[in-house]
Amino acid sequence: MDIVLAATSDEGLASLGKAIAFGVGVGLGAVGAGIGIGNIFGSMIQAVARQPELRGELTGIQWLGFALTEAVVFYALLGGLLAYVLV
Amino acid sequence: MSLVLAVEEFSPEHEFVLDPWVPFELGPIDLSINKAVVYLCLGGLVTILFGVWFMRFGLSLRPSRRQTTGESLYDALQGQIAEGNLPSRAIGRWFPYVASLFLFIWILNLIGFIPLPISSEKFHAFGLDLPTWGIYAATANLSVTLALAFITFGATHVEGVRYNGPVGYFKSWIPAGAPKPLLGLIVPLEVISQFMRLVSLSVRLYANMLAGHMLFLVMIGLIFIFSSYYLIVPSILFGTVVYIFEVAIVVTIQAFVFALLSAIYIGGAIEPEH
Repeated sequence: MDIVLAATSDEGLASLGKAIAFGVGVGLGAVGAGIGIGNIFGSMIQAVARQPELRGELTGIQWLGFALTEAVVFYALLGGLLAYVLV
Repeated sequence: MSLVLAVEEFSPEHEFVLDPWVPFELGPIDLSINKAVVYLCLGGLVTILFGVWFMRFGLSLRPSRRQTTGESLYDALQGQIAEGNLPSRAIGRWFPYVASLFLFIWILNLIGFIPLPISSEKFHAFGLDLPTWGIYAATANLSVTLALAFITFGATHVEGVRYNGPVGYFKSWIPAGAPKPLLGLIVPLEVISQFMRLVSLSVRLYANMLAGHMLFLVMIGLIFIFSSYYLIVPSILFGTVVYIFEVAIVVTIQAFVFALLSAIYIGGAIEPEH
């Protein structure tokens, strides 16, 4: 109901569009990072299953990859926030 | 349901407002003491006490539990961050930097999740104006993380120039065997990528902590947004899940990654052949 009311004014329409764009942008960013993080942990499981003695060395690389991939969501989040606030 | 809960409008971004408590301006630069500065000082103090308590005194050949903790922490930092990323001739000089970087960021992040009475909002109790208990992380502030990233950035290039000479160092930016006609394209890209390190290093930590705090506050704030008692159980449950995830995993990983990338960048500048 509020949404319908909001869409009747120009200002409301603009903020509605910004909110939708923000949500969609962050969501798409999360899709990419989700795939990436899944890949990393999947590969880690395979690697440890094949060569369990390498677990110690691989753990550091795994967390590095995890953090680097996860940061992508936050770039999307920051970009979305910037667009939401500035535009 | 009931509207009693909706005392005031819910605004999670209020946590990140920095009111100047001791105004101090140097020309155009604002150096006021505010919440972030207090948290930074507290974090620095706790880091120093932490290091002194675990690693500085009462050391013996039959280690106590305190000494074992300090030693295993040292060992983990040396093995995971420094070795293999910093060249062996620079490890003595730069291991202290990356290790204290890890400890400092880790403790700043952890302090950010402990409710402390450091806030400019007041509440009345016992006839006194007491500061509200709240959470705030100094690392959820872009200026803090950018300053830390600038130290790494500066150290990288200073060390690169010192070990390889200016010509050798800047030549090492260009990948070996790059075809001549493409140099006009590659050189700007490499220069930009050096500066992108600054952005990615700082924004990763900042956005992670900001998002963690926002997520936690929004989870709790759902009660106030919908002003419904039914939401108290699920939102406190999800809030707790987010809180535990942040404190147990994200806080340590982000500090670890910041220190690890610092070590990789500095090591890569000292020995660019890799």
